[in-house]
Amino acid sequence: MMLVIGGLLVLLSVSGLGVVLTREPRRQVLAMAANGLVLSALFMALQAPDVAFSEIVIGSVALPLFFFVSLSSLRANRKRE
Amino acid sequence: MNHPNRSIAFIIMAVVLAPFVVAGLWTLPPFGSYPGPYGDVINAIGTSARHITNMVTGVNYDFRGLDTLGEEFILFASVTGVVMLLRGARGEAKSAAALRIEHRRREGRSEAVAGAGRVLAPITLLYGIYVVLHAQTTPGGGFQGGVIVFAAILLAYLGEGYSAWRRMARSAVLDLVEAAGAAIYAVGGLVPMFFGARYLENILPLGQPKTITSGGLIAVVNLGVGLAVAAGFSSIALELLEETRTAGDDQA
Repeated sequence: MMLVIGGLLVLLSVSGLGVVLTREPRRQVLAMAANGLVLSALFMALQAPDVAFSEIVIGSVALPLFFFVSLSSLRANRKRE
Repeated sequence: MNHPNRSIAFIIMAVVLAPFVVAGLWTLPPFGSYPGPYGDVINAIGTSARHITNMVTGVNYDFRGLDTLGEEFILFASVTGVVMLLRGARGEAKSAAALRIEHRRREGRSEAVAGAGRVLAPITLLYGIYVVLHAQTTPGGGFQGGVIVFAAILLAYLGEGYSAWRRMARSAVLDLVEAAGAAIYAVGGLVPMFFGARYLENILPLGQPKTITSGGLIAVVNLGVGLAVAAGFSSIALELLEETRTAGDDQA
């Protein structure tokens, strides 16, 4: 179990680094969703299924949607001007 | 600030703060240590006192139910704020139907996206309802299930296109469901007071453990949260998506 948690912690820092190093906003949103997915797997490994559930629905459904919509809205408004 | 100065500032601050970080890490409790007594108490009494098997739900909707009422109204206030800002800026009259602005090139969905949305939306909806209803028995609950129902509503948007989706997801209905969800929580807490109990006190019949009717009042307020979260998130998404509509892509 410690091996799984350790592996997930390493994966979490790698995917977190991925979020920071990604420069293109839309790709960054996907990197953030991937980071959330790893985080929810870690919560699951730490025996917190409710928290994992919340993290997975917010991190990979609600958060990416709101970011994508905001980015799309910015693009649409820029075109209009 | 230019780069050399920034590096110098960083090095100075790092040297100054490093001992504090090391000292802090040194005194951290060991991995997995749990000194608090409350979790163990809840685990011990949860099933006998409330007939539930998911203690997290028990804490959220019963033992600390008042905190969740506060969170419920944080969500309610933020949804109201977003809707007022965005819908107010567009004008209430324009918000009833999908926004149409002329001269915008239409970007259709691929058939794969539409097909996947149509297949996955009902399955996701069913799963979301399952998660909401089984809050007392298995991990998940009103909040998580509500967001899954919201995901199903979004998949319906991908499957059916924007204007068809707007005909299904009416903002008036969403507003009503969101308010009803918040009201079920607040009024559900008030009902015990008419029978001489305290606010949110669990006086309803507790039911059979491991069934969706177990937990008494927990099942009621949990349903309220599920409704409010699903409708609230959908309202925010609807108002935000309306912001991205710039021209005649109603058929897309």
